[in-house]
Amino acid sequence: MIRSESNRFGKTLYILYPGDYFATSANCLLATVTGSCVVVCIHDAARNIGGMGHFILPGAMGTEGIIADDIAKQGIASMEHLMGEMVKQGSSRKSLRAILYGAGVFGSGASAGATSGGNIRFLHEYFSLEKIHVSREDLGGTVRRKIFFCPRTGVSYRKFLKNNNDHSEFMKLENEYISYMFVNKEKCGRIILFD
Amino acid sequence: MKHIMIIDDSPTIRTSVEYALMGLGYPIANAENGSDALKKIAAIKGKGDDVALCIVDVNMPVMDGITFIGEFRKDDKFTPVLVLTTESEEQKIRAGKEAGASGWIVKPFSNQDMVKVVQRLVK
Repeated sequence: MIRSESNRFGKTLYILYPGDYFATSANCLLATVTGSCVVVCIHDAARNIGGMGHFILPGAMGTEGIIADDIAKQGIASMEHLMGEMVKQGSSRKSLRAILYGAGVFGSGASAGATSGGNIRFLHEYFSLEKIHVSREDLGGTVRRKIFFCPRTGVSYRKFLKNNNDHSEFMKLENEYISYMFVNKEKCGRIILFD
Repeated sequence: MKHIMIIDDSPTIRTSVEYALMGLGYPIANAENGSDALKKIAAIKGKGDDVALCIVDVNMPVMDGITFIGEFRKDDKFTPVLVLTTESEEQKIRAGKEAGASGWIVKPFSNQDMVKVVQRLVK
């Protein structure tokens, strides 16, 4: 993530890279660009706190649902990072709403479509289980998206990138992140026993 | 009867852990935060039952996981408490250990690892 003070918006701009998550109550803007990844914007209207997460499920989910699915565990952990940052800012899951973007289909073959479909299904199941209202979603398709989100107000803005060369450096970073996630898709966290 | 208490503000995590542990045969109790868990543990003990293990998240509203462990340890020095969290900084892990945690798992977890760790702690 990079922070920019000198920009055309007149407020601090945080640009999230693939794999990043961030939450704040500051009067600033969060922004990112996505192709295949999903971008989750979360807003707590009761406390004027908002956050953004940019991640991908490394593969297609099975049919058993997110509780039993190993690929979905990576997505749940990604969402937990974002939710943890929201809680640290003073938020509670009971007053949240979500806005969902991304999960575009890029590349040929069935796997690209299956990954996109799996990511969309994951988001729907996750927010249903969490009982968090999804106020807007713009998912799938073959377009890249540039997203701005104001964490204090919960207002988001999405622009389709018609030229695939736009933000090509950003898309290169996303491809590197996706490759890393697919290679490490079975990776679990540390286990420490104190006794 | 001994229960396993799962303390997490995420219904998804609570359900995931319950799914992973369903083969062990323990009754599962759930709480949304540390304060909620202390009340439910008191209610379990009030009925003459007990808690075999607590599995607790760190970042929760109302009462976080580290505070919960400190409060829980005032009355119970021996029941194992396993922390399940996305937090992996050494400072946080040390704080958990000093509060009285028995183990620390960083999410995501595999069901097999969770079962092995729980079996070892409740032994």
